[in-house]
Amino acid sequence: MERFFQYVFDGLSFGAIYALLALGLVVVFRGTGHLNFAQGEMAMICTFVVWQFHDWGVPLVLAVVLGMVVGFALGAGVEATLIRGVAKKSQAGVFVVSIALFLGLNSLAAMVWGNLPPEQLPSLFPDEPVDFQRIFGAVWRYEYIGVLVVALVLMGLLFLLFAKTKFGLAMRAVASNPESAKLAGIPTSLVLASSWGIASAMGALSGSLWGGIVGELGAGLMFTVFIYASAAATLGGFDSPGGAVIAGLSIGVGEQLLAGYFPGWIGQEMKLSVALITIFVVLLFKPSGLFGSAKVERV
Amino acid sequence: MRGLTAGYGAVEVLHGIDLDVEDGEIVVILGANGAGKTTTMRAVSGMIARTGTVELSGVDIARTGAEKLVRLGIAHVPQGRGTFAELSVIDNLRTGAYSRTSRAEVDADIDRWFGVFPRLAERRDQRAGSLSGGEQQMLAIARALMSRPRLLLCDEPSLGLAPLITQEVFDVLRRLNSEDGLSVLLVEQNANLALRVASRVYLLETGTVVASGTAAEISSDDSIRKAYLGA
Repeated sequence: MERFFQYVFDGLSFGAIYALLALGLVVVFRGTGHLNFAQGEMAMICTFVVWQFHDWGVPLVLAVVLGMVVGFALGAGVEATLIRGVAKKSQAGVFVVSIALFLGLNSLAAMVWGNLPPEQLPSLFPDEPVDFQRIFGAVWRYEYIGVLVVALVLMGLLFLLFAKTKFGLAMRAVASNPESAKLAGIPTSLVLASSWGIASAMGALSGSLWGGIVGELGAGLMFTVFIYASAAATLGGFDSPGGAVIAGLSIGVGEQLLAGYFPGWIGQEMKLSVALITIFVVLLFKPSGLFGSAKVERV
Repeated sequence: MRGLTAGYGAVEVLHGIDLDVEDGEIVVILGANGAGKTTTMRAVSGMIARTGTVELSGVDIARTGAEKLVRLGIAHVPQGRGTFAELSVIDNLRTGAYSRTSRAEVDADIDRWFGVFPRLAERRDQRAGSLSGGEQQMLAIARALMSRPRLLLCDEPSLGLAPLITQEVFDVLRRLNSEDGLSVLLVEQNANLALRVASRVYLLETGTVVASGTAAEISSDDSIRKAYLGA
């Protein structure tokens, strides 16, 4: 039984990181209807920025906050300069731009930080071998508890922003009907750039938490996280933030359970394929995801 | 507006239109499909690029964007209503007040329009997409009013509505006009209905004004009667 709790708990912490990145995907998708393939790479760049600030002597917590600020600027900047113009002409073009961005950011990271010995990003939380608590017999590492709590708090704040603030109302209105939002006097350009900014800032946090767990940074830092996040967004429904969180946590837990209980035929190697098969099956049977809306409207 | 031209891409739809709406008037634009009625509305509210002069109380607004025009007092109820289907009725109304800052005043206005449209009040927490066509039209008008406009643009409010509901919508427009002095620019297919509420009428044909006058003048013109009023 403690093995079960162990997998579930570890899975929740990993899942929270996937959910953060997935939320970024959903925020962008709701705002503009685009799937940002560069979401993971933007997060990776921001994580390097966090490392850089920390390397310059900025305390880690502050460095992460600064990384999120840089992430916001990066996301908003990308939307305003690269995405908006192309989106007016062709939706498929946006897809190509985000792929190009994916490759470009990946090369950029390798160029700027690649020649140094692998950077070590310390964890935000105590992560010595003795820093854990036993609950139900399972090892609950402080680091994992911290990751889970920070991720859940940030998601909570995001939901408050969506549901309770005027800006959140504007974001929902733009997501629902951009033309009418403009007619209602909502500055849609600002809202869209901010959506990308928020998504990218969430990615920065996701990357920093993940980097702290992995320890070593590299250009491929967010590959697997991005695939799990895409699976979470697909499973939860691309327009459902709540769905992305639930799906992200479920995928994290599922990943740990499968890899843990079936080490022989799934194990660490095959669990990524399981995520991809999940995407495939969901798209096949329920294209709008478990919690997504299939846009029904009376006229 | 003077010499208004507008269109989509390289296609010019409006070829120099002169049109006035005085304070407290209901002005109706009549015309066949494709005459440029909706384009005129979109040009006035800044949803598409336009050239020529568009003045609001003497201030040139031809180069002002749609979002800013809402602040200046122009509200546009688009064809097909354009309500936010996924948002609740009350959230739809709040978006209409986005340009305003006083929460208390906004809440007071919401109560006011709930009084005018009691069926919206009953459905305040329901998703707008689940409302009937007539209710959505009421919601679209109420949302536009939330910005406290001086000029309301209303594009075919009767589209897809039962005659009785249409009558109700027009009654509301007339009441707002007479009680609040709201100026209305109305596009309407149903010419007989429109002429009953209009102060003045413009007749549009392929992007130009072919006739204009008071409602009485227009309805007594034989050739216009034949072409547009089916009598």
